[in-house]
Amino acid sequence: MSGDHIHPEPTSFLRKHVFSVDHKVIAKQFMWFGLFWLLIGGIMAMLIRWQLAYPGTPMPVFGKLFFSSTGGVIDPASYNTLFTMHGTIMIFLGLTPLMIGCFGNWCIPLMIGARDMIFPLLNMLSFWTVMLGGAVAFYSLFVPLGGSEAGWTGYPTLSTTVANQGTGETLWAVAVFLIGASSIMGGINYMTTVIRLRAPGMRWTDLPLTIWGLFFTAVLNVLFLPVIGSAMILLVLDRVFGTQFYVPASIMAGGGGGDPILYQHLFWIFGHPEVYILILPAWGIVSDLLSFFARKPAFAYRVTVGAMMAVTVLSAVVYGHHMFTTGLSAMLGESFMLLTMIISVPGEILFFNWLHTIWRGSLRMDTPMLFALSVIFVFGLGGLTGLYLATISTDIYLHDTYFVVGHFHLTMAASALFATFGAIYFWFPKMFGRKLNETLGKIHFWGSLVPLTIVFCTMFVSGYAGMPRRYYDHTSADYLKPLQHLNVTTSLAAFTLGIAQLVFAFNFIKSRWWGEKASENPWEVGTLEWTLPTPVPHYNFKEIPNVVCGPHEFSNPAIPDGKDWIYQTEPLAEQPA
Amino acid sequence: MNRLVSLVSRARVRWLATPAALLLASTAASAQEVVDRWGPTPPASTYGPRFDSLFSLITTLIGISFLIVLVMLLVPCLRDNAKKGKKAHFDHGTSLHDKRFTAVVSVVVFIVLDAWVLVRAMGDLREAYWNVPAPDTPGIFKVEVLAQQWAWNFRTPGVDGELGTPDDVITINELTVPIGRPVVFNLTSKDVIHSLFLPDMRLKRDANPGAINVAWFEAAKSGDFDILCAELCGYAHYQMHGKLHVLPEADFPAWEKDASALALAAYDANDTEARWAWDWKE
Repeated sequence: MSGDHIHPEPTSFLRKHVFSVDHKVIAKQFMWFGLFWLLIGGIMAMLIRWQLAYPGTPMPVFGKLFFSSTGGVIDPASYNTLFTMHGTIMIFLGLTPLMIGCFGNWCIPLMIGARDMIFPLLNMLSFWTVMLGGAVAFYSLFVPLGGSEAGWTGYPTLSTTVANQGTGETLWAVAVFLIGASSIMGGINYMTTVIRLRAPGMRWTDLPLTIWGLFFTAVLNVLFLPVIGSAMILLVLDRVFGTQFYVPASIMAGGGGGDPILYQHLFWIFGHPEVYILILPAWGIVSDLLSFFARKPAFAYRVTVGAMMAVTVLSAVVYGHHMFTTGLSAMLGESFMLLTMIISVPGEILFFNWLHTIWRGSLRMDTPMLFALSVIFVFGLGGLTGLYLATISTDIYLHDTYFVVGHFHLTMAASALFATFGAIYFWFPKMFGRKLNETLGKIHFWGSLVPLTIVFCTMFVSGYAGMPRRYYDHTSADYLKPLQHLNVTTSLAAFTLGIAQLVFAFNFIKSRWWGEKASENPWEVGTLEWTLPTPVPHYNFKEIPNVVCGPHEFSNPAIPDGKDWIYQTEPLAEQPA
Repeated sequence: MNRLVSLVSRARVRWLATPAALLLASTAASAQEVVDRWGPTPPASTYGPRFDSLFSLITTLIGISFLIVLVMLLVPCLRDNAKKGKKAHFDHGTSLHDKRFTAVVSVVVFIVLDAWVLVRAMGDLREAYWNVPAPDTPGIFKVEVLAQQWAWNFRTPGVDGELGTPDDVITINELTVPIGRPVVFNLTSKDVIHSLFLPDMRLKRDANPGAINVAWFEAAKSGDFDILCAELCGYAHYQMHGKLHVLPEADFPAWEKDASALALAAYDANDTEARWAWDWKE
């Protein structure tokens, strides 16, 4: 095993901070990368919301900056690029690197007692591949004819040369391919590391639930990112080399014979698991944080793991619910409806396990806990509204309306983001040796939760009223004019949400360098990373720890000295029956 | 419930009950307000009320579920804050009682949330949405829809009742149909994917290039309704809308006669572009 000898820490700046193979450095690289893209994607969201609330009026500040040729007004083509890239950036370059890239890298070796990932060089390659993907995505915005305008789903034939001749769309496909390749490398690394490098004594049931979430995500990444990769290869071939995988005979002179629906299948075979790729680590993190801050064991640990496993399996067989209006056969449609609904069972089990975890706990309302608790609220709203969309006869009306936008933002975006925030507040002291300011953290929390709820709940209302998504200007149709004030409400709440993130940015920068020095275990938690000194040494563990205890033995009467927590390396006085 | 009451002190219950009751009442009132003011326009097709009714059922079911989650979330947040010297209740949740709870709740959720809605939805699909009348059904009104960037081309049979004949009525962005007769669509697209969205009829169906999709509705109300495109189709997606005119039974034959006469007068046998009718797909 690679843990048997300690490599010396590199001394050159490049090897130490840039081309590092140390998982902790790579985790921080992923973090800065993800936060940067979250900022870009967030600004795009603000631009989108401005256009929807005040269509055709020049946007202050950003309008002058980005749309000087039109006097600050966002034109329809740029608007399409904005929501396309907002989706692509937030999913592939914001949340994925932050949650999976950063916390996958940070947590897995430290929490399982390993000195690094099992393939450190592959780990570095994974980061630099996503970096390249990000660069290509960024560059695609500035080519002639502009960036991709086909939505983050990139459906042909809108994304083929039939409708779009620019290189922006091609570069978008290349960027998605590269980012996918990076995730596959990460996934292989995470899976293998968890399987091979657990510290002696660490059984599968001693793993923190964060690791379980990341493990299932890694499995999904390895299985389904290749599918989106192949879809993108076919799209690039269609665009650049004149093949017609997605172009039917009826619209291409001289033949064709492809099928645009083929792409939809490929996209959603990947696309639905992608939702769970983002939410499984969030569930894992939340399950741990709730237990850590309620000072109570995670309720029914094995059942939680089983529910997450069930969702992982089900995620692969429900993708058809994205295509209920496409023209699936009746039998396929009904099967996908049933399979999708079944997800509510493991979903409900997770909810009750979380709620039971905090029930009769001793709750410490620190910022990580607030974010973890808010995930129950936000994911509850988002998850339950999924029932309307799983049901074909209601989905027919709601499909491609703002109802869907509200639903998926609450589930995969807001829940994943809030869990990530919880994780940042929680692991920051170990990463940087300082604590994020609690007061600013609480302002950030309430400033995020309240407007966010308003933003997406108003979207439910406008979607229910029939407002289609991806419209440049809803006042163009008579029937939507009376709903315009809902757009204004959503946008004002969205701007508040945006401003609250500045508090976080300020807190992050300030605390990173000038924050209050943190003790080595400020949260009094027993998982392995908190047994280490801060900053964590290059080799993590001088001696590979011997695990003798589960991650959640809080308030166990068998803990000596009147404490309510115990390190995973410390034996309990007596094993509870 | 007993367990809940015994755990929450009486004072705390009173303290919680008043705001909770107020919240419930205002939620119920505002839900009605939302539907009346900003909800969808009343259904104008025969199967439209099925959507509204199933939507209400799901709202009730998930509303109750969410309320349970909210209570179980808020009670510990208000009651179980950390106090000096007080330890949390130690419980791994592995007792037989806990396992039974999980099993019972799972079965209840599956039956109430899933199976109930599923059965209702399958009924709606088989009796209404997917119960497309066969092409030889007497009285059906066939419409061919050819979508393009950025317009809807409609072809209706004209007086002879046959598609693909010189008296076919071909219109752009305007579709006139009779009330009380099943309107059956054949949809396809010239270029990219579009989606025919008739919000008042509770109907949406994609128009895919290279394939023909089938959909239907029967208008229950006459009047003018909106036609929207629901699938992103490029630059002017947001402007791709039209009007659906549903005429009363008495007015429709006269309209159809005039429209067919105009179509015949303008018919040009050499204009192949205008003759995009296809073999009807069931």
